[in-house]
Amino acid sequence: MNSKQKRTLLILFSIYVVLGLVNMFFFPSADLEGVGLRWAYSFGENPSFWNTINPMTVIMSSAIIIILIVFAAGVKFELIPNKKQALIESLLGYFWELVEDAVPNEKYRKPIYVISTTLFLFILIANLLSGMPGINVTPVSDGIKIGLFTDTWYTPTSDLNTNATFALMVLIISHVFAAKAKGIGNWLKMFIEPTPLLLPLNLIGELAKPVSHSLRLFGNIFGGGILVLIISYMLKYFLLPIFLWGFFGIFVGLIQAFVFSLLAIAYMGSLLEE
Amino acid sequence: MAVEQVAQEIVKSGSEAALGTGLYYLGKFVGAGLAMGIGAIGPGIGEGNVGAHAMDAMARQPEMAGTLTTRMLLAMAVTESTGLYSLVIALLMLIVLP
Repeated sequence: MNSKQKRTLLILFSIYVVLGLVNMFFFPSADLEGVGLRWAYSFGENPSFWNTINPMTVIMSSAIIIILIVFAAGVKFELIPNKKQALIESLLGYFWELVEDAVPNEKYRKPIYVISTTLFLFILIANLLSGMPGINVTPVSDGIKIGLFTDTWYTPTSDLNTNATFALMVLIISHVFAAKAKGIGNWLKMFIEPTPLLLPLNLIGELAKPVSHSLRLFGNIFGGGILVLIISYMLKYFLLPIFLWGFFGIFVGLIQAFVFSLLAIAYMGSLLEE
Repeated sequence: MAVEQVAQEIVKSGSEAALGTGLYYLGKFVGAGLAMGIGAIGPGIGEGNVGAHAMDAMARQPEMAGTLTTRMLLAMAVTESTGLYSLVIALLMLIVLP
């Protein structure tokens, strides 16, 4: 570790300590009201499934997409790679090897690679945001409460809607690919193998995939956030949450993003096998 | 919190609803605790197995340690998911139920 890295770490740590002191003195009664609840906004008179949105999910998803686009625009691809290019190339090369191992049909390797890598990058940025102190909005009995640096950034992945959307997308795409690759007849035959008696079991097995796929990510991120909130409530938001945020946000978030995209590859690849 | 205030008011009023409210909260909290406690047994055993066998493999082939660590973390994350379902149920009981 050279002196520049040491200085960067020192600056980051002092920022964290200053934020902790600010939290301790200016937000002393950070009570647990509205923990785990979501700010929902509905457009019509009577809220229903069709006209209600979760504004924080929409805002943070757009912010993450903008972050990714800005980062991608800043990378210049040259013959002699700089640091960013080396990072991107090694990451994407690793994913390409995974896809090559898991997908037998060469024609479908590229779309599966693009889908899984996109999911990985989005979920990675979203989970890394959940390891940093930021702005969070919770509903209380009268309106909403905006927490400045008392909690981590709101992440879209701690909302089940986002994860369920991704998991359903993966399910539909995998079946469309299987139907295209094998033909409709062979694809339908897959459900009555080895005997037609097992049709309900096969259907349930397919429908259980998106449930476990989405709930895994949701449970890890949401549960970690709640856990850190409850532990740090006892210590009044000083010093310990930083390490817990680091563990639950960065370590668990990185692993879960990888697991999510790897399972997407495996689900799509397993249906393409003859 | 609003829910607890309502509960205290019901209890103070001394009506017959107090017993029902108490039993409701008893069931809710005991249920959440049991769901998390029993649900953590399976993932604990599973992750122990994964870790033990990964250690065995690393001791046999130390040059594969990097790959094995990645795969071990992956398998652990998949093993964890049943425990997370019980976590989701426990959180539902504690937070979403009135």
